[in-house]
Amino acid sequence: MKSPLFGLLLAGGRSTRMGRNKASMVIGADGLNQGQRAVQGLLPFCQKVFLSLREGQAAPEGCEHLEIVRDNPSISGPLAGILAAFEREPYAAWLVMACDLPFVTPEVLRKLIHARREGADFIAYASATDGLPEPLCAIYEPGSRATLRRHAERNHLCPRHIMIEEHTTLLELPPSCRRALENMNTPEDIAAVTGEKQIHIGWFGALAEERGRREETAVTSAPTAGAFLEEFASHQSLNGLRGHVRIAVNDEFAQPDHPLRSGDKVVFLKPFSGG
Amino acid sequence: MSFHIESHPIDYESLRESLTAPDCGGFVFFEGRVRNHHEGRKVVGLHYEAYLELARKEGRRLVEEISRKFGVRAAAIHAVGDLKPGDLAVWVGAAAAHREEAFAACRELIDAIKLQVPIWKRETYTDGHGEWIEGCRCASPH
Repeated sequence: MKSPLFGLLLAGGRSTRMGRNKASMVIGADGLNQGQRAVQGLLPFCQKVFLSLREGQAAPEGCEHLEIVRDNPSISGPLAGILAAFEREPYAAWLVMACDLPFVTPEVLRKLIHARREGADFIAYASATDGLPEPLCAIYEPGSRATLRRHAERNHLCPRHIMIEEHTTLLELPPSCRRALENMNTPEDIAAVTGEKQIHIGWFGALAEERGRREETAVTSAPTAGAFLEEFASHQSLNGLRGHVRIAVNDEFAQPDHPLRSGDKVVFLKPFSGG
Repeated sequence: MSFHIESHPIDYESLRESLTAPDCGGFVFFEGRVRNHHEGRKVVGLHYEAYLELARKEGRRLVEEISRKFGVRAAAIHAVGDLKPGDLAVWVGAAAAHREEAFAACRELIDAIKLQVPIWKRETYTDGHGEWIEGCRCASPH
């Protein structure tokens, strides 16, 4: 008899390339963030969905109702989350999914689940690009637990390498879902897929100090410079944006109704204090 | 007639030279220097930062606009970087046939620069703490 299947949404990554929490990012027109979309995808197939987070990390918006599994702090990377899940439910099989795979369809998950059988501890797709196992949209049966622990003890923390070394059932992606496992690591990735605009932001003075950086790239669907400022101010906790702020687009002062284009450079300007 | 932003210390001598002309009988200049106090706190240093691309454009535009308005020859230079009390932060000059336009243009130009050119200052106080100063955005200069 097959073990019960639980879902594990991996949201403990630091998203350093994205510059903001990937699970909280809204992609697409339905308004769901990546975390919510992944949970919606997992729920029909799993008895229960757990949220994997780092120590001290808060649940992404919309995922607060999920039961949390905290990473084992002595291990880094996704393996920490997977092992922590097995510690919680050692007799369950885990359908593990990263929170940055917005193109995973029910068909993709169904095919994984149909491949479950006695003796197959790891079930994963072969990457459409290099044929190697994709460990972050995969099933880990209870029998994989001991294997994972053994690798962790030897400091082998890369689930892909573990899957390569161990016996893994490798599946081919359904023909209509070749891109299903492409992930979104940078704002450029998202802009390329969603058609959202990519905006380069420059920071000066008090705002640069509070933001802790001089420039960054953001992705937005805001039609105008003013709407972008409003959106940025409401999503980021930057006190400096609360007062009077002017906007420059491409090194010219711009009115709030100035239309935004992908690739524009935007600078938010606090009242000047030269002289 | 020009507008410049340079690292401290700024050299205004050549600007001053460029403004003098035989037909200008009146020459007025303003020097903005670092004050050692602000709202009751003792200031030991100032840091100026500019959004250079926009600040140069806007400064140039203001110099041209005010020169035309008053029929004067005008120029200005602003410092960026770390300054101490007494250091020269900004220099504005206006030369005209008569003193009246020169005074008026110089006054209007320094006011406009403070209000409209994207430069910000951060003050450092005796206790080592620092603070970015938010300029006034009202139209009347003070």
